Amino acid sequence: MRRFRELVRVAAAGLMARKVRTLLIMLGPILGVAAIVAAIGINESSKGYLKAKLQELGTDLIVANAQDSIGGFGQNPRIPAEAVVRVSRLPDVTSVTGTLQIANIVTLPFEAAYDYYRAFPVPVIATGLNLPQTMEVPLVSGRFLNDFDVASEARVAVIGRDLADEYGYLPGEARTISLNGIHYGVVGVLDWVLLEPSMDSAVFITFPTAERDWDTDGQDPTRLYIRAPTNTQWVAEEVPTVVSLGGPDGARTSIPTDLLDAQSQVDESLNNLTKMMGGLALIVGGVGIANVMSISVIQRSSEIGIRRALGHSRSTIAVQFLFEALTVGVLGGILGAAVGAGVVWLTSEARGYVMVLSVPGLALWALVSVGVAVVAGLYPSTKAARLEPLETLRLG
Amino acid sequence: MAESLLSLGGVSRVYGTGVEVHALRNVSIDIRTGDLLSIVGPSGSGKSTLLGLLGLLDLPTSGVVTVQGRDATSLSDAERSRLRGEAIGFVFQQFHLIPHLTALANVETALLYRGLSAGERSRRAFEALERLGLGDRHDHRPVQLSGGEQQRVAIARAIVTEPLVVLADEPTGALDTANAANIMEIFDGLQSPERAVCIVTHDRDVARSTQRQISMLDGEVVADEEQATSRVIGP
Repeated sequence: MRRFRELVRVAAAGLMARKVRTLLIMLGPILGVAAIVAAIGINESSKGYLKAKLQELGTDLIVANAQDSIGGFGQNPRIPAEAVVRVSRLPDVTSVTGTLQIANIVTLPFEAAYDYYRAFPVPVIATGLNLPQTMEVPLVSGRFLNDFDVASEARVAVIGRDLADEYGYLPGEARTISLNGIHYGVVGVLDWVLLEPSMDSAVFITFPTAERDWDTDGQDPTRLYIRAPTNTQWVAEEVPTVVSLGGPDGARTSIPTDLLDAQSQVDESLNNLTKMMGGLALIVGGVGIANVMSISVIQRSSEIGIRRALGHSRSTIAVQFLFEALTVGVLGGILGAAVGAGVVWLTSEARGYVMVLSVPGLALWALVSVGVAVVAGLYPSTKAARLEPLETLRLG
Repeated sequence: MAESLLSLGGVSRVYGTGVEVHALRNVSIDIRTGDLLSIVGPSGSGKSTLLGLLGLLDLPTSGVVTVQGRDATSLSDAERSRLRGEAIGFVFQQFHLIPHLTALANVETALLYRGLSAGERSRRAFEALERLGLGDRHDHRPVQLSGGEQQRVAIARAIVTEPLVVLADEPTGALDTANAANIMEIFDGLQSPERAVCIVTHDRDVARSTQRQISMLDGEVVADEEQATSRVIGP
């Protein structure tokens, strides 16, 4: 242990004696490690927001769209109400809500906006009563549609949060919304639906009201939102069968978070490219260390000769120079990791990312730098150990 | 009775494989406790080769080198290095201090890897510097010291390990007369009943100041004689 400390001190003195040179050979590992750490960190951080969002949303929502099981012949396919009941009875399903989007309705907050809202129609959706539960979204104000609304076929509506903002709707305000001239009372505002952003500016009404006012040809939905906390994938595969039961009705399912999940995956090919480039920088840095240290050994041949004369063995000399390389690698690795982490932090701050930085990753790349430095130091160290003291001391 | 510290027995050293150069032919020298001896000879007489062999820095082509009766030629590099560090202290013509280290650190270098604590190392190094009158210059780097001072640091480095033999290679060669005289006085003082001092030189004045003088010519010892008087060179 004492010998180890002595070696470290001798190596440090050797490095400190030539500060600029030491700094220059350290630049290779610093740049290499910093480049790798920064590239990977920025890449992962840019996906960090999506990952955080996924965490929030959960990944157990399934969307089933009606589709002709025969394929493309039927117009406006629907999912029969009894099929919805069947889906809701699946063991892993906790909640199912059917929706039906109604076409050709111009929705107006006030008459003067007619032209605008005809050009950019607001979606009107007939929905089951448990939409907030299934989407796991609360109401900002008021209440959602309820059994009384269904039984009475009342002209009441819940609106999305964006639409509420657009209309200047105040919480609790008694207000109506005009659907093709028919006024509906707004009873509640639904919060943002992250998995279905189109709902943020939609108007929700009950199925019976929709059938009466808008001639929806029955109360069958076109789309189901299914919450299945367990075996989500399996449920998604089974739902089409459960809906069709061999009949003409069909459904196609998707898990919307799958898409987000895919987006949130770090771009491996980009990562590999940056790793390769950083690796290249490290190797070039290693060559620099080997090169500069070889010259250093020649310049310090007299020092090596003295040390040999003072009783230091060949292996001690080799280890001394290897320690110098090791120190360069360790410091370069640590500094590089720090610089890389700093770059990731700055970038994340500037672009509003959630900073994602793997500490084992930092340690790993710092270690790679140490490895490169040690390998690079092998040749100069061997060279130093092989120097003949008699030749370097110029005796007689 | 003086005992043998360092001896060469029938040593030859041949350089080169194709064209052989016989640097030393069948040389036998015995350095004993209490010796203050000089090895003199013109350039090419084999002095440097002899110094390398005496200092365990080189191995003979034939013959044996013994330290206190122990054969040093059969040792491994690590063992021989350790023996060298313990038994021999070197002083060179060009001082050969490590430029980036202070005087104290230069002296301490001789004490490294011996299991001494850092405090013990610097205490002993400081004592050695004090002994040579350089206690107040311990934190100076070699470039901040005069030639004579550098050589005194080098001598401190050579004696800090309490070696059996101090081997000096032209210790006054790079110094002016006054400094040279001072250094020779120091060597006189280094001589002790337990230790030997061996100075390799081509300076006849330096050689004349030692008790024993070995003359080399063409790789052979031509004379090994005790001198009646020793005279210190200088003004």
